[in-house]
Amino acid sequence: MNENLAERLNELPDLLSGHVLLSLSAILVGLAISLPLGVFAAPRKRFAAAVLNIAGVIQTIPGLALLALMVPLLGGTIGYAPAFMALMLYSILPILRNTVVGLQGVEPGVVEAARGLGLTQKQRLWQIELPLALPFIVAGVRTSIVWVVGAATLATPVGAPSLGNYIFAGLQTRNWLSVVFGCLFAAGLAVVLDQLIRLLEVAARDRRKMLAVQVGALLSALVVASVLPRFVEFTPPAQPQISQQFASVRAEEGALDDEIVRLGAKAFTEQYILAELMEQVLVDAGAEVERLDNLGSIIAFDALRNNEIDAYIDYTGTIWATVMARDEPINRHAMFVEMAAYLREEHGILTLGRMGFENAYGFAMRADQAEALGIRSLADLAVHAGALEVGGDAEVFTRSEWINTRDAYGLGAISTRAMDATFMYDAVRDGQVDVISAYTTDGRIAAYDLVVLADPRGILPPYDAVILLSPEAAERPGLADALAGLVGSISDDDMREANRLADLERQTPQQAASWLYEQVTE
Amino acid sequence: MSKSAKPVLELRGVSKQYAGGIKAVRDVSLSLDEGKLLALTGTSGCGKTTLLKLINRLEEPSGGSIVYEGADVRQFDAFRLRRQIGWVMQGDGLFPHFTVRQNIAVVPRLLEWDIATTELRVREMMQLVQLDVEAFGERYPHELSGGQRQRVGFARALAGKPDLVLMDEAFSALDPLTRDDLQRDFKRLQSELGFSAVLVTHDMAEALILADEIAVMRDGQFVQSGTPSQLLAEPADDYVAGLLDTPRRQMRAIAELGG
Ligand SMILES: Nc1ncnc2c1ncn2[C@@H]1O[C@H](COP(=O)(O)OP(=O)(O)OP(=O)(O)O)[C@@H](O)[C@H]1O
Ligand SMILES: [Mg+2]
Repeated sequence: MNENLAERLNELPDLLSGHVLLSLSAILVGLAISLPLGVFAAPRKRFAAAVLNIAGVIQTIPGLALLALMVPLLGGTIGYAPAFMALMLYSILPILRNTVVGLQGVEPGVVEAARGLGLTQKQRLWQIELPLALPFIVAGVRTSIVWVVGAATLATPVGAPSLGNYIFAGLQTRNWLSVVFGCLFAAGLAVVLDQLIRLLEVAARDRRKMLAVQVGALLSALVVASVLPRFVEFTPPAQPQISQQFASVRAEEGALDDEIVRLGAKAFTEQYILAELMEQVLVDAGAEVERLDNLGSIIAFDALRNNEIDAYIDYTGTIWATVMARDEPINRHAMFVEMAAYLREEHGILTLGRMGFENAYGFAMRADQAEALGIRSLADLAVHAGALEVGGDAEVFTRSEWINTRDAYGLGAISTRAMDATFMYDAVRDGQVDVISAYTTDGRIAAYDLVVLADPRGILPPYDAVILLSPEAAERPGLADALAGLVGSISDDDMREANRLADLERQTPQQAASWLYEQVTE
Repeated sequence: MSKSAKPVLELRGVSKQYAGGIKAVRDVSLSLDEGKLLALTGTSGCGKTTLLKLINRLEEPSGGSIVYEGADVRQFDAFRLRRQIGWVMQGDGLFPHFTVRQNIAVVPRLLEWDIATTELRVREMMQLVQLDVEAFGERYPHELSGGQRQRVGFARALAGKPDLVLMDEAFSALDPLTRDDLQRDFKRLQSELGFSAVLVTHDMAEALILADEIAVMRDGQFVQSGTPSQLLAEPADDYVAGLLDTPRRQMRAIAELGG
């Protein structure tokens, strides 16, 4: 097994627990809403059609979008709440639909017989209609379970830990084993829950008390096993510490004794490494670190703004465009100052400083192809624009830097292809696209023999990495002091090398961070 | 014939118009004395089932009044009224998820009889309808023949010791021998327990044998009603005469076959 995954297995109890609790609570509440709603709606044809339509519309919203939408709808809260809301909404339709169909499908003659014998409306519902509709209702619950357990993997980007952590982290670091592992575990969980419910139905139908008790016991055991890791302290094995001799970056020992610090990270390798680096610095200072990885870009910022995380690393150009909604060109140093002032004033966020390196968007192509076509800078692309294709992540083509670059260098004829950032570098290396919107610190630029095209007109905005502290964290001087040592400590080359170690040498982000720590303390 | 018996059921100028505009019952009046059996007959769609449903309030009349044991049926809670009135519905209307035993025990359970009494009653009813308790008690309706289901429906209607029983073609799906037996047992039970009954039937012989009174319906109206001998002696019109004559016509046809 690869080392990366072996390390991640430590997180399994926590992630599995998060996944089970999230899914089960969403389904239970979904059931508590959709079952009575279905009972109420079944005899009212028009109302039933209306609620089924609404539930159907919710169902057509892609899971990831629904989850992400819940964050702003809940006022920027991340974590369990938005994931729970989205999955709960997701669970409603199958149960609601099957309840309505099952109740409406009860033979009218049987209902009339029940009335004629003197059963009250309530007795008819409990003794006749619901038991006859039960197989449909259970089928609905089972469909819900499979959907919700599957969709719960998408809770990772909104900050709720789930088995999706394996999938998202694996996608970013191209650790396919981790992706497969996450998928298999989620699928296995869905199958187990589905079968338990099926057995429960069999027990109810055939009145087999023993079976019901056994299944009930299994379900409770699963729930208890899932809840347990929340209460039992899990002590990770002692981590190999690097030598203590360089004191400049290292924070004062014990300065943060027993303080809890929550670090966020977006979903790509560099962010994992930097979060890991901050963690090592803070742990050395005595703090206890909690990590929230794989956050969506805006979600990470919202979490910081709302004090749900204490610190994370973002990039000046990203804040400039997405938070400040500015798109005019500005020089690197001015952007930093304006951004820091804006964040402090508007949100109380403290910009601790620039880390030293820039992770900008740049346009890269294969060195041999660039040479063959005589392309050195973006300006040289125009002549060949009609014959070239640019690959980039879905976000980049909607951002002003692409639009400005295209317009400034006359690249209107070039065709674009959106893909996950993970695949871009391989795509350009293998000639599937000609140019990519590379991240300038990516280790694969050098490793794949790519060149970043020059930007003679200065269109592309700067992307200085900055350490941001939440309004509350800003009031903790010890924390700011501890992290301040990292300001200005990492060069472009160091970051690129650390990324390369993780992406290409298959080191864990932790190992890459330790390497980086060594560089910066030298 | 004691004329002193008080009526269990009285209908006064009852009519029913369905939402679609169909007038299923028009201005029907009748009076049924305690312990008597009224046979309702007439062509398909003439309103017999509708009339029964008006009595146990499965349908509400659009005009007229229905009096049960001296009180207007509208004064009862519908579900309490129905527990007192046995009902064998057309088709069987058994609960598919209940065993034979559970189906028969429905009304006793609603009446909150204790378990032992209910169990005894279920056995009694199963014996009455000639279903072996051991062999059939735990079966579900889909494991029974049409005739067996009808017998369970019949047992279910009588299980709660009703004062009045409404039977909608209760014997139609039975073979002649079983039907004969069941009719005899029913007659015996009725005289023992003294309940009254309204029996919808297409079988004129059945009506003539079982009924104290026969009402012939056409198009939602009573064409004629009276004792079997009254009807036989003075049929109101050719339609009634034709209906009454069917058993005799069949007898003649059979006699001719015998040579
Ligand atoms: N719920 C209903 N809504 C509208 N019309 C109805 C309804 N039930 C019955 N009818 C109509 O009322 C008329 C009388 O129906 P009913 O069932 O009382 O006939 P019936 O005498 O019992 O016939 P059969 O011998 O075939 O059972 C029919 O024309 C029927 O179509
Ligand atoms: Mg009928």
